[in-house]
Amino acid sequence: MFEQLINMVFSASFGYSIIRITSPILFAALAAVVAEKGGVVNIGLEGIMMISALFGVLFSYWTNSWLLGVLGAVVIGILVAMIMAVFALKLKTDIILSGIAVNLLGGGGTVFLLYLFTGLKGNTASLTTPNMLTPKIHIPLLKDIPVIGQIFSGHSVLTYVAFLLVFLVWILLYKTAMGLRIRAVGENSHAADSVGVSVLRTQYIALAISGALAGLGGAYMSMYYSQSWNIGIVAGRGFIALAAQAMGQGEPVGAMLASLLFGFASALGSKMEGMQGFSSYLVASIPYAVTIIGLVIYALSTLKRVKRFRDKAK
Amino acid sequence: MSDNNDFVVQMKGITKVYPNGIAANQGVDFSVRRGEIHALMGENGAGKSTLMKMLFGLEQPTEGEIIINGEKVSLSSPTVAISKGIGMVHQHFMLVPSLTVAENMVLGMEPKQGNKLFINYKKAVEITEEFSKKYNLFVDPHAKVRDIPVGMKQKVEILKALVRGAKILILDEPTAVLTTQETEELFKELMHLKEQGYTLIFISHKLNEIKQITDRLTIMRSGKSMGVHETAEITKEEISRLMVGRDVVLTVEKEQAQPTDIVLSVRDLEYTNDWNKKMLDKLSFDVRKGEILGIAGVEGNGQRELVDMLFNLNVPDDGAATVNGKNILGRPQREIRDMGVSLIPEDRMTFGIAGTGTIEENLMSDRAADKKYNNGPLFNLKAMHEDSDKLIKDYKVLCKSRRQQVGMLSGGNIQKVVVAREFSSEPILIIADQPTRGIDVGATEFIRKKLVELSREGAAVLLVSADLNEVMELSDSLIIMYNGKIAAYFEDTAVLNDTIMGEYMLGLKQQSAEEIGGVIHGK
Amino acid sequence: MENKRQNMFEFFRGFVAIAIAILVAFILILICADDPGKALECLLVKPIISNGALNAKSIFTIFARMTPIIFTGLAVCVMFSANQFNLGGEGAVMLGGFIAAVIGIYLPLGAGVHVFVAILAGAIIGGLVMIVPAVIKVKLKASEMVCSLMMNYVIMFIILHFLNNVFADRSKGATQTYPFLDTATIPKMIPNTELSWGFAIAIIATIIAAYFMHRTRWGYSIRMIGINESFSKYSGMKVGGIIVLSQVIGGMLSGMGGAIEMLGRYKTFLWLDLPGYGWTGITVAILAKNNPIMIPFAAFFISYLNRGCELMSIYAGVPAEMIDIIQAVIFLFFAAEHFLSGTRQKIVVKDAKEELQKKQLETAKEGGNA
Repeated sequence: MFEQLINMVFSASFGYSIIRITSPILFAALAAVVAEKGGVVNIGLEGIMMISALFGVLFSYWTNSWLLGVLGAVVIGILVAMIMAVFALKLKTDIILSGIAVNLLGGGGTVFLLYLFTGLKGNTASLTTPNMLTPKIHIPLLKDIPVIGQIFSGHSVLTYVAFLLVFLVWILLYKTAMGLRIRAVGENSHAADSVGVSVLRTQYIALAISGALAGLGGAYMSMYYSQSWNIGIVAGRGFIALAAQAMGQGEPVGAMLASLLFGFASALGSKMEGMQGFSSYLVASIPYAVTIIGLVIYALSTLKRVKRFRDKAK
Repeated sequence: MSDNNDFVVQMKGITKVYPNGIAANQGVDFSVRRGEIHALMGENGAGKSTLMKMLFGLEQPTEGEIIINGEKVSLSSPTVAISKGIGMVHQHFMLVPSLTVAENMVLGMEPKQGNKLFINYKKAVEITEEFSKKYNLFVDPHAKVRDIPVGMKQKVEILKALVRGAKILILDEPTAVLTTQETEELFKELMHLKEQGYTLIFISHKLNEIKQITDRLTIMRSGKSMGVHETAEITKEEISRLMVGRDVVLTVEKEQAQPTDIVLSVRDLEYTNDWNKKMLDKLSFDVRKGEILGIAGVEGNGQRELVDMLFNLNVPDDGAATVNGKNILGRPQREIRDMGVSLIPEDRMTFGIAGTGTIEENLMSDRAADKKYNNGPLFNLKAMHEDSDKLIKDYKVLCKSRRQQVGMLSGGNIQKVVVAREFSSEPILIIADQPTRGIDVGATEFIRKKLVELSREGAAVLLVSADLNEVMELSDSLIIMYNGKIAAYFEDTAVLNDTIMGEYMLGLKQQSAEEIGGVIHGK
Repeated sequence: MENKRQNMFEFFRGFVAIAIAILVAFILILICADDPGKALECLLVKPIISNGALNAKSIFTIFARMTPIIFTGLAVCVMFSANQFNLGGEGAVMLGGFIAAVIGIYLPLGAGVHVFVAILAGAIIGGLVMIVPAVIKVKLKASEMVCSLMMNYVIMFIILHFLNNVFADRSKGATQTYPFLDTATIPKMIPNTELSWGFAIAIIATIIAAYFMHRTRWGYSIRMIGINESFSKYSGMKVGGIIVLSQVIGGMLSGMGGAIEMLGRYKTFLWLDLPGYGWTGITVAILAKNNPIMIPFAAFFISYLNRGCELMSIYAGVPAEMIDIIQAVIFLFFAAEHFLSGTRQKIVVKDAKEELQKKQLETAKEGGNA
């Protein structure tokens, strides 16, 4: 039994699943990273992914082009993020509450919007045509290498985009002027303000980028992973992304590693379904529990300094 | 006019009235010559910060004009001020801790690579190094700001202003956060800047420093300018007299104190803050039942830290403090209050009130769990309402009813709510930290009277105040703090005058250990 | 009440927010319904009146659906009042329901006692789990929000594990438990409707919560800490302990809501996902402005709209999920501090001016008397 498990974990198909499952979380985690760096908690990722997932399918259906569908998803992601931004930054709705409202929209609102635009109820399976799905990329040369090829080749084009984005987001944050401003605003808005950097404008931009990234995550879900849109499609990935952001200490690479951990645990969970002696459910809970533990460890390390002062009381 | 060319900054007839009616500046004239180091002096609340905020575009004057380099300007924002060549080094650094020094330097004016998208970090480092070298302000461009010492942070702030083209630098109490060594270093750098033709405005109330590096000085008191002087031609004593003093001498009628037992006893209290600056240095004193012990001193000499320790808002490195023989250091506030200690906090909006709560809720905050106000698990609302109404009446809180939001009241009425609560808990020790700052005359008078009344009824009162009138008239005896130590103790405040106060407050004089020892009444 | 004009304004603001939401609903209906008139009737009138008479059955359904969201609304009230964004209500509801179900199936007890024990157990377990995010926040200053969100999933998966591997009734096609013992089900308040006595418990809980928040020292401390933590500490309150208390009470209310919903509405445990009441509870609490006594009204409003949307989907073909759009719009505008802030500013200034005039008049009078 144990041997069976080991064999499974070290199989190429398992590696392939990890990457496949990690991709959407990674998009959203990067979205969380950018927003958080700008000093905004984007708890609306879940809703943005839902809405973008729907519109990705719709745009690709209308245009018969997966590429335009993905673009549509990104545009809608930005749009929703901007609605959130107007309420949170201008009308001063608490940012967390704005996010929760967006999640409400994403939850049931999408079902309604689907009906509004197509007359369909609940899912878009009947719309799907092969042209609408993001294509798999078989990487020349790499695909022929045993094991490695099986793991890393043959994913959706968006998967490669996701991992490329880890690098791009890092570049954005650490190599561009905009990134510098985003980080400055998020950390000390007074300092940014005092040298003429507009805090509001910078936060709008950070949220827009965050919305675009979450939009890609949504598109991945409906235009590749599930092959169509349905109400349960995002299933908490937006929240997991927030946790991945926190666990990855707000850095793109850290968030990627945390996302991979989630990917690993869920892949493990789904592979173990039906396997005797293991509970796939308990395995599925591991990444969430690990996040809580990760948060605790991180908090403990930052608290040490404060402790020093407490000790003086003696 | 050639005369104008001599002055880089001219502020004429500046009056600033804040929306709450406080006139922070009244017809102030202030001018600075090209290439000088000009000190702007005054006690806290004298109006020097307001004046400088207007010069840096953070506030706009109600009346008066500002002339920079002979040109009349309207400084509507810091960005405009920066474009006119004015830079400011704030007391609280405007730096982003996780960014490197070079990144902080170029924030908002980032050098770009050819494609306009990427930051040219190398260029940023070059700029930093270039300025660092040119002005002799050594900083490490690659270090993250959170990892560098305070002294270097300040240099980054100065460089930030210079790199944005500042020719006139405002330094807001730059030495307040520095150690002696760092201060010396800073002065060398400032002299260097002066040699290169920069004009420096140096806000401070440390006489030695002023004497050491400034050319001229302007003294402010109560929102007005007390005149401009050549630093070399004015003695420290004269500065002290101009700076510290009362415009009107208020007299408070009070009976002679009859102090009895020691209530609060503080021994060898020591505290070094996060930036390695010693804020409390072996501080010892006693406060007795029935007396008001005043603590005078220019702000930032350890008064705030002392009060924080006494109410466990901070923990000292060493020393002891007891109330009626029982330790209060590091004890929960509940326990301290149960011993009969009350505190009128300096920062009333942060500690004194819950702004969106009602007046009643704010009056009850320290006693809501008392038996008197509870019937089993439920509040005894009747008792609460009665007592709240009585407190509102007794303390003349101007409001519609006890159900009004406390944050909507005026400053004076808010303070009356705080005072009503703190005075009505039958305290044996009242710590009053700046009890009348920024509030109207009526409320001020009322609070002072109450404080005297309570002390004569047997409470021990520790009064911390930067207001000379208040601390000299209310106190029975008085200590003056300077640099975390007691500079002087006067058993009888009747012998005091403004000149003596000023000399001790500004560190010109220091009593002997024996004289200071008088404040310790115990064995 | 004090500041009458400002209170009136707050009322007006809420009204405008709701009006905007209803307007959005109208527009959406106009676009997508075949017969907009009928759809509107379904949304606004039909939940309580059908064919010219009171629709009793529908009204009872509205009340029945209010039950869980009253509990979660109260929970959010208590937790958010301490300024803690604890989103663990979802998990606590599911766990409370699950524990109550297990006790309802496996622990035979006397009638009356059984259902009581099951509900109590649900409440206790709900309170216990909330200790985790609360203590992590108080002791370690780690985000209670992320922690509670993650906890929801941990709880869900653990329940699913036990449901599938231990308690499942294998004879059924779907994953569910064996039926609850009769002694454990909450009897119906009105026979042949969905309305159980759980509704009465929810109303009692509301009254207790209202008293707790505004008439006890603990509720008072929770509110003061929510307004200003430094002030509360300085005043001598045990800030950390009270924060933990507030979260535990929130958890207990959520857990109790889950238990009551489970035993009052269902016959077996069959939740395979987080039930969503925790999120609705946030909307309800926002509408009620964190005032417990307003929670049932807010819950009624949401429940009414829910029912209206449901009827609309049955009779007019408009998807019931429109409720979420309406909720989101209300939510956004209701919580927007600066929404209509220009008008509020004018009112405040006007009030202040009048106040000043009154004061001057009074001093003038006093002067005259002297």
